[in-house]
Formats: sequence, structure tokens, C-alpha cells
Amino acid sequence: MRILLVEDEPSLALQLRQTLGDAGYAVDHTDNGRDAWQMGGVQAYDAMVLDLGLPVLDGLSVLKRWRQEGITAPVLILTARDQWHEKVAGIDAGADDYLTKPFHTEELLARVRALIRRSHGQASAVLHCGPLSLDTRSGRVTLDGHPVAMTGHEYKVLTYLMHRPDTVVSRAELTEHIYAQDFDRDSNTIEVFVARLRKKLPASMIETVRGRGYRLASP
Amino acid sequence: MAWRGASSLRLRLLGLTAVGLTLALLLAWLVLAGLFQDEVMRQFRQALEQQLDQLTARVEFDPQGRPQVDPAGLSDPRWNKPYSGLYWQINDADQVAQSRSRSLWDTQLSNISDTLADGAVHAHAAAGPQGAPLLVLERAVRSAQIPSGRWRLLVAADTQAVQAAVQRFRGVLALSLAALLGLLLVAAWAQVSLGLAPLRALQRALVALREGQTQRLEGTAPLEVQPLVDGFNAVLERNAQVVQRARQQAGNLAHAVKTPLAVLGQAAEAVVTPTPGPSAPPASVDLARLVLEQVDLARRQVDWHLAHARAAGGHGLPGQRVLLDPVLRGLVRVMDKVYATRAIDVRCQAIDAKLAFAGEEQDLQQILGNVIDNACKWARAVVLVQARLQADATAALLVVTVQDDGPGIAPALRDAVLARGNRIDESVPGSGLGLAIVADRVAAYGGAIALDPSPQGGLQVEIRLPAAL
Repeated sequence: MRILLVEDEPSLALQLRQTLGDAGYAVDHTDNGRDAWQMGGVQAYDAMVLDLGLPVLDGLSVLKRWRQEGITAPVLILTARDQWHEKVAGIDAGADDYLTKPFHTEELLARVRALIRRSHGQASAVLHCGPLSLDTRSGRVTLDGHPVAMTGHEYKVLTYLMHRPDTVVSRAELTEHIYAQDFDRDSNTIEVFVARLRKKLPASMIETVRGRGYRLASP
Repeated sequence: MAWRGASSLRLRLLGLTAVGLTLALLLAWLVLAGLFQDEVMRQFRQALEQQLDQLTARVEFDPQGRPQVDPAGLSDPRWNKPYSGLYWQINDADQVAQSRSRSLWDTQLSNISDTLADGAVHAHAAAGPQGAPLLVLERAVRSAQIPSGRWRLLVAADTQAVQAAVQRFRGVLALSLAALLGLLLVAAWAQVSLGLAPLRALQRALVALREGQTQRLEGTAPLEVQPLVDGFNAVLERNAQVVQRARQQAGNLAHAVKTPLAVLGQAAEAVVTPTPGPSAPPASVDLARLVLEQVDLARRQVDWHLAHARAAGGHGLPGQRVLLDPVLRGLVRVMDKVYATRAIDVRCQAIDAKLAFAGEEQDLQQILGNVIDNACKWARAVVLVQARLQADATAALLVVTVQDDGPGIAPALRDAVLARGNRIDESVPGSGLGLAIVADRVAAYGGAIALDPSPQGGLQVEIRLPAAL
């Protein structure tokens, strides 16, 4: 899952990058509104965390431009502006959630998880696919109730696939959503992760659709 | 400078008065001079008609048809003095002069080619001896002795003297009216200066105020200006109050935040320079816990004072009116998103579109936003918002109730949640100030807040606020 973080306060931005990265997200960060607007238009993000008081172009304008351009990725406004009229303006500009600073890290992570889940039509925090379960809150993966150990990248690939069960996901799409912008990508590594996942899960769960990509299906 | 002139009240008033007066006096001059001329000419012609009547009475015709005038009958000496300015002449039917006054001397009155009924009198202007302008009256007569004969009797008088009199009158009249205009302008200037004097006094009072010599506009002003002075003084007093309150709030906030800062400072000091003694410096986990606790305390203080500062802004100003329905709709849109994960259903029940709050929009948002937010935090599935108007002879109240189906609050704890900063449950995020801020804000509007068990099973918050009709 790839997230755009727009925050101009350097120390808070650093903390958030670490927090979101530790939670298994690929994080792209920018500290100004104009770059945010452009990045949001180029890359398909799974969620965006947007500050309102930004240099160059303010957050509300960025959000309005995104929505005008038909960008539907879920947006969480993260701001110190806690007046109700500011919240109403933020939601009316197209935000999907609004969290005021100071905030608890857990609260932010829970809301980001919920946003991504809702954008894929998933109501529960625990994703299921046949005997396989993935708890997005704890990052625990179980197969028939038994925990399955995963590396960070394996978990990222599986999470992305579990949000889109029975859907063909191309290798390029997986790469896009698993690596951050400044990460040195190699699409061959995706094959490596998928191969490792197949060893840990029932072999038939991740199908290869020739020439198109992978599909997660309940066996 | 032209712009400054146009913006001066005094110059504008004086300019308008000067233009008006000048036009009125010019009109008066034209009318009076015209009337005078008409009257003088009427009298002049009347006198000349009498002369014509005299001539008509004194003229006789001999059998040959020659006119004979009895000189003794014409008493005016000017008839005999050459070029005296008063002349007569008698023409026959062919307009040939048959007889004329001595005053005509070697000239005669020029003929006028028109036809006259018997006895009718015509008047003409003509040039006389030495080119003098004349008024000529003529009359056609017949003689009883010579029925076929027909004559014209002409009398003429020089109009130069009359015209000179008219000119003199016009000049004197113009001078008099100009003097009157001058006097009136001086009077107008005096009136405007006197009328604007209170404004100048006000200006001086403002200067004194700006220079810090006084705290308010001093002195009494005329009836028309006094409301302005009173209004200004009211604004000044309000400003002074706001500044006073801002200072007090800044002081309160500083004081409130200093305590957690001091605690944090001492804890840090204990780590950096441990004092010799049995007590060991705190472990890093304890220190972190202390920091979290004190930061939370400081944040609640900041929230509380910020909310208080925002509230102190505008209420009490007359004429404020905020419609309830759009504010509620906006808040519900926010709740729908923020509590989407828990799928809380916020229902506004048939809110009358005309219901309005007599106060500031941001205050209403803060009050309702906090109450509905609190309800959403605790609700299991449903939050119900209702509003009605309760009006009696003395006051109109807007009554808003918010009910949730959450766990509710035990009666013993209800007062505690309205007190500043009490959190009765730490399991839900928040500062614990929401309802306390609401209570504070509602009280500032002279309203009331009541907590009761909700028919839905949870808490019901009822808020009474002044309504705008």
C-alpha cells in the first residue's frame, strides 16, 4: 500500500514517515502543496495524508484540485485546525476523514487502515480469503487459525492482494503500490516475493494469469 | 486638492447654498425689472393717450377740409418747444401731413402704412427728430361737416427718458440683490460653521483620545450627534474589555502551562544532574510516561483557554442570527466521514428551516459540534438530533436535544463531565473538555445545558440557547 504524506513540519514529517513505514506502507513525502498536487495526479496512491497549512499551495486547494481532476484516492486531513467550520470546509472539499493535531499514532494508523479498507469496500479490519486471514491492525497473518511468519515485503504484497481478492493485479501495479518513489525498484523481486508467499500458503491461492499478472483466490 | 474640496462638508454645503441663492436672486432680478418696465411703459402710454384725447377734442376742420387746432386748448408747453420730445401731427386720407405741432419744427412724423378703423387707436415705435426713439399713437377721425373727409391724428413722445429710468432701476436692483446675496452667503457660512462646530469638537476629542489624554470622548454633543458619541464610547469600552480579557487569558494560559513545563524541567534535570541521595534518577520509561502525562495536561490547558478565547469574541452584539439547519447539516457531513468506520447513523429529525440562533455561527458550531461529537464517540449505532422553538412572553429559546444509544453517564457523574477537564473514561480519545467547553459557551449566552438519560438508552444532552426570531 502506497501513501502520499503531505506535511511541511520536518520533524513531524520524519516521525510520520517512520510510523507509516513501520506499519508496512510505502510512503512518498512532500512538504509543499504544488508538489503534492502534481504527485497525486501522477501516481495512484492508496491513501493520502494531507496537512492544511502548506507552503506554495494550501492543503484545501490541493484537495479541491485533486477532486476536480477526478482523483478519488481516500484523503485524511491531518491538521492543527480544530474549529468545526474548518472541519466542515475540509470534508466539503472532498476529504474522507479529518484528524486534528496533536494526535495519537495509533489513532492515525487506525484511520488510515480504515480509509484504505473502505476504499476497497471492506468493512472489517480483518481481511479473509478462504482459510487465510490478515488482521490489518496487528499485521498478523493466520492460515486456518495458525500464525504465518512473514517478512515486511511479503506482508506488503499479500496485503495488496487481499484488498483485491479475485482480481488480476499486474506486476507493475504491485511494484507501484509496494515501493516508495525514491526506492530502487526491480520488478523481478516481485516474482521472488510471490514465490516465497506460495511456499507459505496453499500453492493454488496465488494464480499466475499469463501475460496479465497475479490473482488471489480462495482454494 | 479638488478631491479634498469635494470631500469637505462645509465647502459642499456652502457651494450648494451659493448656487441656489444666486439662481433665486437672478430670477428675482429678471421678474422685478420686467414688471417695473411694463408698469412704466403702461403709464407712459396712458399719458400719451390723454394727449391724443386732448388733440382730438381741440381739432376742427374748415370747409376746405383743413384741420384747425385751437392752440389754447393744448396746455403742455412742450408742444411749442422745438424737438421737445412731445409732438402731434394730422394727416389727411392720403397720409400727407396737413398740420403739426410747433415742436416738430422742420420735420414731420414718418407715415405708417396701415389701415385704421374709425376711432381706433394704434401704437407704434418710430424714429423721430434727431433719431430719437418715439412711441407714436394714432387715431382715425371723420368730421361731421365733411362726411367724405378722413384724417389721422398722431401724437408721439420721446421714450429715451423712460428707458433711461428703466435702465437705472435695473442697475440699482442688480446692486441691491448682489449685496443681499453677499449677506446671505455670510449668513450661510456662519450657519454652516456653527452647525459643524460639534463635529470639530468631536475631532479634537478624538485627537485627545489618540494622544492618550483621555480614555473616552468627553463632553456633551447636540441631540443629533450624541448617539454617535455614545456609540463610539460603547465601542471603546468594549475594546478595553476585550483587551483586558485577552491579557487575563494570556496570563491564565501562561500560568496553566508553566506547571507542566516546570514538572518536565525538573524531571529532565534529575536525569542530567542527579542529586546525591537515595532516590535514583527515573528510568526512561517512567520519564516518557511523565512527559506524556504532562504534555496531555498542557494540551488540555491550551484547548480550554483557546476555546475560551474564541468564545469571548462576539456574543452580546445585537442583530446576530444564524440558521440552525445549515450548521447541523455541515456537522453531520463531518460526523458521517469521521465516524464512517463505526457506521454511526446521525439523524436530524425534521429540523425547521426557520429556526435560528441569536449569536455567532462559530459558537453554535462549537456547541453543537462538541455535543454531537461526544454522542458519536459513545453511541453504538444511532445519534438523534432534535430542535424546537420554545417561546413565551419574555424570551424565545432554541432547544436542541442530542440523544445517543451509548452507555450513558451515571447520575452522580453528570456534573463532573461538565466541569473543566474531567474525563470519566480514558478509553475514548479526546481531551475530556468537549462538554465542559459547551457548558462554558452556553453559559456565556445565558443558556442552559442539561444531561439526562436518553430514551435510546444512552445520554441525552439538552441545550437551551437564545433564539433569533
